[in-house]
Amino acid sequence: MSVYSCAQLREVAPELALGVLSGAERAEAIIHVNGCARCQALVNELTEVADALPLLAPEHEPPPGFESRVLAAGRARRRRTTRRWVASIAAAAAAAAILSITIVRVVESNDSASTVAMREPVEVRMVTTPGAYPAGWAYVTNGTSVAVAVDYHFPSGRYRVVVVPHGGTSATIDTMTVADGRGSATGRSPVPLPGGSTIELVAAEGNTVCHGTVAPES
Amino acid sequence: MWSVSDDALVAGLAAGDQDAASAFVRRFQRRVYGLARTIVGDDRAAEDVAQEAFLRAWRHAAAYDPRRGSVVSWLLTITRNLSIDAVRVRRPASFDPAVLVETDHESTERGPHKLAELNDDTARLRAALARLPEDQSRAIVLAGLLGYTAREVSEIEDIPLGTAKTRIRTALQRLRAALVSEERAE
Repeated sequence: MSVYSCAQLREVAPELALGVLSGAERAEAIIHVNGCARCQALVNELTEVADALPLLAPEHEPPPGFESRVLAAGRARRRRTTRRWVASIAAAAAAAAILSITIVRVVESNDSASTVAMREPVEVRMVTTPGAYPAGWAYVTNGTSVAVAVDYHFPSGRYRVVVVPHGGTSATIDTMTVADGRGSATGRSPVPLPGGSTIELVAAEGNTVCHGTVAPES
Repeated sequence: MWSVSDDALVAGLAAGDQDAASAFVRRFQRRVYGLARTIVGDDRAAEDVAQEAFLRAWRHAAAYDPRRGSVVSWLLTITRNLSIDAVRVRRPASFDPAVLVETDHESTERGPHKLAELNDDTARLRAALARLPEDQSRAIVLAGLLGYTAREVSEIEDIPLGTAKTRIRTALQRLRAALVSEERAE
């Protein structure tokens, strides 16, 4: 994959801001924008205008009863979501507990005298387009354990979860199936992920559809 | 609830406040349904999309970040994306951008201050769109509002891909320049 120059990026910046750039082009543009503050500022400026365009659509009165139907559906969905999240949280807690025990045992087997302190996970914002609302979040624990979840208007499909350590070589650590806009995956990076490393969701066609950058440690 | 700010309504939505949810839907339903109807071109499908847009907003209200744009822009972006997903197999584009330039609607559910602010933004954008050459305004409406890619725009308009890209790019840059110059003039 070639990476755009600033001049090439300026050519496609409006389409990137409008969200109508094709997958491969978008992936290249995002890679460039992530490393170029000036082009990122340009895309952000254009995105402001692009986001305002839907204001031009004519208003129209919805059919009678629309409001009450939305509210009823919202209440029903909240009940279902609560039940689902209780189950998810229980599963995640169990997975985290197993992961912690495994890490402790591995370290203990190498050095029985060492004490292991689980570090706070590093939160990574996953975005599809620079400046966009997060499509989801990734969490990096102890530098190598990665958990990713997307749940904001994400296209259904199967994606590779790829980690790119800062200055290192990329590695696929898991696959994620997204259905009904949601999906999650966990995996372990072969090497630690310092600040500047990226976590990417890569579609079957090879284009990166969502990515996040690990913030430098403060 | 009539005078409560948009941001406060979203905060209430995130907290699960039913009154806030009700006021939120009442305040924005004409805009959300209108946008969905513009893109999907079918009343029944538009209602489904509009309902889903409100449910998504409800679910993600806690993630709303006012630094990234207004509530109405956030909500309409959700609506636009859902509408485009709903019409993956597109009808031929027969949409006339002039309709957008000429329409001037007012919401009756909005506080006077916000109403003026919103209509001001919309009016400025509409005026800037009206000043564009027709081929550029069509291109930006097709891509920016209806979600057609440059290749689809080139097919609809029967023009080379490069020309479609140039029209989209020039139109967005001109809209941006027009809005910035007006902001500075104020």
